[in-house]
Amino acid sequence: MGVIVRPNGSYRRALAEALIEAGRRSRDVVVLDADTPKSTGTLAFAREFPERFVNVGISEQDLVAMAAGMAIAGKIPVAAAFAMFLMRAWEQVRNTIARDGLNVKLVGTHAGLSDFMDGASHQALEDVALMRTLPRFTVLAPADARATRELVLEAILSHRGPVYIRLGRDNAPVIYSEGEEFPIGGSKVLEDAVDVAVFSYGPMLGVAAEAVRILRRQDIHAGLVDVYSIKPLDKDTIARQSAKASLVVTVEDHRVHGGLGSAVAEVLAETTPKRILRIGVADAFGASARSYEQLLEYMDLTPERIASRIRGELR
Amino acid sequence: MNGFADSPLLFRNVDLGPSGLRVLAEKAERARTRLIKFLSEIGGWHAGSSLSSLNIVAALYGYWVPAGRALGVERLVVISKGHMAPALYVWLSIEGLIGEEELETFATPWSRLQSHPEAARLRGLVVSSSGSLGQGLSIANGIALAAKIDGVRREVAVLLGDGELDEGQVWEAAATASAKGLDNVIAVIDRNMLQHTGPTEEVKPKEPLAAKWEAFGWHAVEAPNDAAAIAAALDALSKLRGRPKALIVRR
Repeated sequence: MGVIVRPNGSYRRALAEALIEAGRRSRDVVVLDADTPKSTGTLAFAREFPERFVNVGISEQDLVAMAAGMAIAGKIPVAAAFAMFLMRAWEQVRNTIARDGLNVKLVGTHAGLSDFMDGASHQALEDVALMRTLPRFTVLAPADARATRELVLEAILSHRGPVYIRLGRDNAPVIYSEGEEFPIGGSKVLEDAVDVAVFSYGPMLGVAAEAVRILRRQDIHAGLVDVYSIKPLDKDTIARQSAKASLVVTVEDHRVHGGLGSAVAEVLAETTPKRILRIGVADAFGASARSYEQLLEYMDLTPERIASRIRGELR
Repeated sequence: MNGFADSPLLFRNVDLGPSGLRVLAEKAERARTRLIKFLSEIGGWHAGSSLSSLNIVAALYGYWVPAGRALGVERLVVISKGHMAPALYVWLSIEGLIGEEELETFATPWSRLQSHPEAARLRGLVVSSSGSLGQGLSIANGIALAAKIDGVRREVAVLLGDGELDEGQVWEAAATASAKGLDNVIAVIDRNMLQHTGPTEEVKPKEPLAAKWEAFGWHAVEAPNDAAAIAAALDALSKLRGRPKALIVRR
């Protein structure tokens, strides 16, 4: 697979570069932030295109509705905030952006467990559930820096309509090589399913890849699919890969209810019912940790634990 | 602008000044009679709020927007208090922009005339969908700031309820407008002194209202609830530069 699991990529650095490129390619691109440009990565765009950057201050509801106004005026607004606090404006997103189908790109950074240091208040574990339920929205969750760059550019420059892009912080694995394409609605089969079919997205794809490798050494052959397009979902690939396996597994840094675990369960219930193990966060909150690895350990989401849970389920 | 360049609102001819205001006042009076009848037909849905907003709708849609075209300024109205829809629809029918018989379809699922206006069903007439309070000023700010970025002459008015001012987002947006120097935004506040549960000053006092807007860096003025007076106040406010502007329309 050639996957490097150790998080050494940065989603926000990739976002920063993609925003500048989008800004160069289209004069309509404007970027809005709620006083976190240093953290989200929008600062680079602010320096390059100060006249097209808006810091609205610490007010996410205002941020979202203002981006809606910009889209009404024909701009391509990109509004970035910590995923957790962007969800504070979910009602604005629903009633204004989704209802009117406005061409707004929302970027939720620091999603999942990526913001280890800041603790439970900052760790968005519900955003996929909240966003994938909205009509007209596209929901994307790139796994590494290259995927982030491609999907951000595609969402801004090629796709017309509202998009939510879920990003972590500096916990991106390295998975893809240059030139890979990520069409919206697609997925990436990194390894074909045999005994087990594993579906994952975002930073957990790297963790899941490591778990798959551990299982391989124990002679359990698990496939791995990157479900970077949460909505629209690549149902065909999910059904096809699941059909080959005796166990289906989802791995995510999100609640298992409402997240990919639910999304895959919905597809399988409607196509080929299968036993499914949903790995992620259930009825618990995160915690502050000194490192990403320490938080994964606390949340029982290390590659070793994931591999052992899958093995246990197969017995 | 999403379908507004050819909005039918822009192509009404109005005379600027006293003669235009006289025509407006006469039309607003006719609209009031029609609105009272309409409200009885629909079981009085948000009657108070619709009645107090009618003169504001008349002044904005029947005068200020088309006058902008004559002055070479693109003017848009964002409706934040969407429950005043009966007033909007009656006004549009008086203007001949929607059919009189279409009013009968109000709030039926297939109708363009939803209880709270839906932008997608009324292209060129409604800028953004409403129904959820507190968002309109932020939206107006976005449209106004885009004009500044593009170097376009555009003014955006937003119709707010006084009860709606309880929403914190209104004040987030008030601070943003002032921070960004959005002197092309006019907030028109329907100060009918009532909100859902009762008198505003009993539920959650709004006064001193003008002073609050001033404290946020806005220029605030008041006008009586009279179509011609509101239109004249809008004319005057449009000429002021440097700060966002609030027009408090007193009951």
